[in-house]
Amino acid sequence: MERFIDHCCEKCTHTKSTPCKDFVVCCVEGPICHEDPSCEDKRKAIIDKVAINGQFVIC
Amino acid sequence: MYEKHLMICGATGCLSSGSYSVEEALVEELEKQGIKDKYRLVMGGCPGFCEVGPIIVVYPDEVFYCRLKPKDMAELVEKHLVRGEIVERLLYKGPDVDVPARFYDSIPFYHKQKFNVLRNSGIIDPESIDEYIMRGGYRAFTRAMGMDPALICEEVKQSGLRGRGGAGFSTGLKWEFTNKASGPKKYVVCNADEGDPGAFMDRSILEGDPHAILEGMLICGKAIGADEGYIYCRAEYPLAIKRLKIAIEKAEVYGLLGENILGYDFNFKINIKEGAGAFVCGEETALLASIEGKRGMPRPRPPFPAQSGLFGKPTTINNVETLANIPLIVKEGGAAEFAKVGTEGSKGTKVFALAGKIRNTGLCEVPMGITIREIIYDVGGGIKGGREFKAVQAGGPSGGCIPAEQLDLPIDYDSLNQAGAIMGSGGLVVMDERTCMVDLARYFLSFTQKESCGKCTPCREGTKRMLEILNRIAEGFGKPEDLDTLDSLAISIKDSSLCGLGQTCPNPVLSTIRYFRNEYEEHIIDHYCRAGVCKELFNFRIDEEKCTGCTACVRACPVDAIRGEKKEPHEIIQELCTRCGSCVEKCRQDCIMITQVGRKADVSN
Repeated sequence: MERFIDHCCEKCTHTKSTPCKDFVVCCVEGPICHEDPSCEDKRKAIIDKVAINGQFVIC
Repeated sequence: MYEKHLMICGATGCLSSGSYSVEEALVEELEKQGIKDKYRLVMGGCPGFCEVGPIIVVYPDEVFYCRLKPKDMAELVEKHLVRGEIVERLLYKGPDVDVPARFYDSIPFYHKQKFNVLRNSGIIDPESIDEYIMRGGYRAFTRAMGMDPALICEEVKQSGLRGRGGAGFSTGLKWEFTNKASGPKKYVVCNADEGDPGAFMDRSILEGDPHAILEGMLICGKAIGADEGYIYCRAEYPLAIKRLKIAIEKAEVYGLLGENILGYDFNFKINIKEGAGAFVCGEETALLASIEGKRGMPRPRPPFPAQSGLFGKPTTINNVETLANIPLIVKEGGAAEFAKVGTEGSKGTKVFALAGKIRNTGLCEVPMGITIREIIYDVGGGIKGGREFKAVQAGGPSGGCIPAEQLDLPIDYDSLNQAGAIMGSGGLVVMDERTCMVDLARYFLSFTQKESCGKCTPCREGTKRMLEILNRIAEGFGKPEDLDTLDSLAISIKDSSLCGLGQTCPNPVLSTIRYFRNEYEEHIIDHYCRAGVCKELFNFRIDEEKCTGCTACVRACPVDAIRGEKKEPHEIIQELCTRCGSCVEKCRQDCIMITQVGRKADVSN
């Protein structure tokens, strides 16, 4: 998972044609539809790569 | 993980002062040392302080380097990135700091600023949708998708947001009108046709945070029931257009633009229309005509665009800065938070472009209600060269000038209107005692006269007549009755012009007459321009008492109009002098005076 649009695992189904209501929140706080620490880490890795002093996530 | 992040200002201001070359040199140096992969380099949005560009901010160390040149990059890499030492000589230094300032919090330019609209500028990569989402982007839109459209309009109304493009109409009310208009097809239009001389607020927002505009348009679309939007941006903003195109493409890939967005029964697409740069196309009905492929000319209202706008459909038109505020307002609890900043009638912040004779030129975002004095002296650092503040032109060619006596005027829509100016889109052109107010009025009127589309007679003919009178005054042929004629013409043009251009273009003339009538009278009666600008109405003379004969003026004069022996007082040969002012700039003794034509006495005050 390099970008938020990439799927963390097969349980994530968000695409342009099969959209998920929780997509935006899920990018930062996900996964929302399932529990999986490795999926959580994949999102965190995207954030950590560009986070500056932990100030990137403000919501 | 990167060791450090280097945010290079990639906005037009810094690009024009060489930030591409700085970036190239930085990359070259990092590659030479084989350490490029350790660092994240981003050509980001504008941090505002254009005066000291090009700028690089290094995180997480929080170091603000400025006035950079490609040759500085070897030292920056070796000393800061490799050895961890700050390169002090590249820090901000100025008369307003005792020691070189390291970061935003120690640079006075930033002390009174509050970043709402510019919240992501210089922080994120404007070409990354992921970074926008990380900063809370598209959250407000997600929330809006679950809301009743009328409630969204109500929240925007409650926030007190007023249009940032000029007139200051309630944004929520505008949305409500279009929401209530009937019809299956409606449009959202983003007015990015920023045309005021010296203004670049919208350009910087578009370049630094394009997704904020898309999100604002999406929320507006949901609120009014529109499924299509247009961004009307002038073609002179290629970087803004490039970044908007990238943002739209990415939002489409992420399913944030297109059909059934986020699984809701909501479709929205955004088109970009590049304008050819006509000032009148900033007027909403002319802008709509231009998008439709017609000549950019205004039409009478009503019907207003909310009833019959683009292609005859109900349309909401919002300015860039207005839309950039929307995600902050529509997020959970955002409206109340937004309304906490500002004054009773003007909520939130305002972005201003500081230009003219001010020390710190650039972009600033300040809370509504801040005084002009605070902007000019605390943010702007005062007047260049330590000269006296004379006036500030607020609101561009449609605005008016505010004199030194009103320095403590709070900046909000109503106070500015009462003072004879307008908020406009946020251009602030600062003037010192060397600015001639007749010439200033002439400059702005000449601009609007050329930009008049010619459709209505008062604007087309009236501005020409006013300009003829101003030219006459500036050339020494003014008549005592000219001021009354100007006043009467200005009022007629304001009352009877078809669109905002004509209705506001006399403002610079009216406000300069109101506050600087004595200067007009000096031009007309004494044939004297005290600022030394109107060339027919003054002479330069050398004060023999002060002149040391250093010859600096002799060397500066392009027409050999200054004579005199070294170490002896010099003299200007009036028949040869073109009054270009080169000698004044070079004189170290300040002994070149502005005097009335044919008069030798010192009347240079």
